Amino acid sequence: MTNMTEKYETQTFYPHAQTEDEQPADAKKAASSLSTTGRLMAYSKQLRNSLNKGLDFTAVLDTLIATNDSEELLTATLRLAEFELDDAYLVFPQQYSRADYYLLFLERLLELHQESSIILNSSDHNKELYHEYPGVNTAGYFVFKVTEENKYGAYYTEVNTGNVLFYLDLRQRILRFNSHDLTNLLVLDYGERFDRNVIQMFQEQFLNIGWYLKKDYGFDVDFNLLDPVNNALYPISDPGVPQQALDRLFIKAAAVNYMLISGPHGEAILDLAEDVQLSLFARDGRWVIAVADPNNEVSFFDVLFKYDFLHDWYLENRNSLEIRADNLYF
Amino acid sequence: MVNANPEKIMRTGNHEAATNDLLSSLADKMSYLQTLSEAIQGGDDRLVFQLIDNERYAQKVLKAKHSESDDSNEALVTDVHNWIAEFLSKRLIAYLNQVYPFFYFEQTGLGQFDFYFGNWWGRRRFGSLDVINVGFNFDASEYSKLERAFELEKQNKRLNSDEIDALSQTNDHLQDLIDGQAERDQRKAAIRQEIKQLAEERVMPWEVAKQKEHKEELMAELAHLTDLDEQANHSYQTIKDNEKKILALSKEDTLISYEMQSIVAKFGTFDGFEEKNDALYRDYITSLIATGQVGD
Repeated sequence: MTNMTEKYETQTFYPHAQTEDEQPADAKKAASSLSTTGRLMAYSKQLRNSLNKGLDFTAVLDTLIATNDSEELLTATLRLAEFELDDAYLVFPQQYSRADYYLLFLERLLELHQESSIILNSSDHNKELYHEYPGVNTAGYFVFKVTEENKYGAYYTEVNTGNVLFYLDLRQRILRFNSHDLTNLLVLDYGERFDRNVIQMFQEQFLNIGWYLKKDYGFDVDFNLLDPVNNALYPISDPGVPQQALDRLFIKAAAVNYMLISGPHGEAILDLAEDVQLSLFARDGRWVIAVADPNNEVSFFDVLFKYDFLHDWYLENRNSLEIRADNLYF
Repeated sequence: MVNANPEKIMRTGNHEAATNDLLSSLADKMSYLQTLSEAIQGGDDRLVFQLIDNERYAQKVLKAKHSESDDSNEALVTDVHNWIAEFLSKRLIAYLNQVYPFFYFEQTGLGQFDFYFGNWWGRRRFGSLDVINVGFNFDASEYSKLERAFELEKQNKRLNSDEIDALSQTNDHLQDLIDGQAERDQRKAAIRQEIKQLAEERVMPWEVAKQKEHKEELMAELAHLTDLDEQANHSYQTIKDNEKKILALSKEDTLISYEMQSIVAKFGTFDGFEEKNDALYRDYITSLIATGQVGD
């Protein structure tokens, strides 16, 4: 919750002692030609408008908190995120921010689909909402960070480490996952400290968020390295052929009895257990990683946790292999 | 086959007889070409092999000590060997795929094929195929590496073990040099301090030589440390370069280990592999006879 007192001072309104700056232009014009009664009437009207606006706000907030309709949920969130509650006549000192409504929205979205593991908490200290995840709540907590340059987008961020996991824009209907920080937080940091099922929970929550945004609202979603579908291509950062990384994969795989083979078009193919196939190849001049499996359910992220040698290989060759995220946002 | 040696024909001296000999000789050539043509049309690869190189066929298949073959007819088709090779390659490569499942053939021209060892990443081009003679022209360098790897295996070594060990040791040493920088800096500061003190110290005349000697020792040590600093400065790049070399060598070792596994799985030993290569012509012709492969 943001205390808005820095922005607007709650103050007594003196109809006869207005300063030029405090008065809206039309009120100023009206006031100059009205009698005292007229002025009081105008004041009363303005105040009623402000109060009605406040009531209107509470109705929208109630909708966000309670609706079971996904369309209403998004509309309410957007309205609240852009709601200018305060005006010259009425100031609400206790308010939530756009970041808070985004958190609430995600929590409610998952709740509508009966899929939420997220714990929505409110911090008395920072006067803001935050997300926690069961089992890791001592390690970190998550908020949305908004930026000055983008009025509608917000970055889902783990506060202790500063890792930015995804970018969400409810107005433009865009969701972009950030491979670099997902790797830092979930593979490196949490991967070392927590069980696989904890990581799995994050993964499922994030995938669900993406799927529901896509299904319910037609969002444009880049799941990045979390994407389990077979035709997902993970573009790597190396501008050329990742020759050294491929040679290292060849050697590492051989050491654990997997063989990296050379496909008919120069692609590198690694057949893993359970018909999972990892491959690297050039697409439109840039190299990509792909993961295919019979059920369309294994992502590159999964592979990193399932195979130690691939985990090590990816982390040791990140300068060449790092999956690229949308550079418009990261 | 009629002897068609032109010198003998000339020596007959008789024009009519010479003309008859010529006609006979031409008939023989036509008969040869006719037979070859029919063999190709009928898909009789074995007969084609016999016709294009009767001596080889006699030696390798019939085990004849020396044949009375005449290669003048065979010379009629040497300029179309590429076409013949193209024709013969189809069935031959199918056979080689059975016998050498780890060789992968790639056509490079009419009747011409290179082959690669394995389908793994970074597989090596291992030579070219001689279709007409049913044999491999191995890449000498790659072949000798494989041969040597088999020898080294007896000592539990890989082809590049020694070189990798040497490079790793160099890198360890260079890394120590880099890591020792702080220690050297401390020591250098101490030496400079000591030299400064010596300069300020007044000694008895009989101690001057000793003091000078001590100072020279310190100067020498300082020079040595500075030298090590210099080396350490260049070490970072050298370590990177060596790591690249180690990667290339490890990759080669991995490639060769796959090649060795393939050979052992199919032939038991490297000797077994070489024996098979030597007997390839005969074995192939025998298989053509055995399977009675005429026509498809």
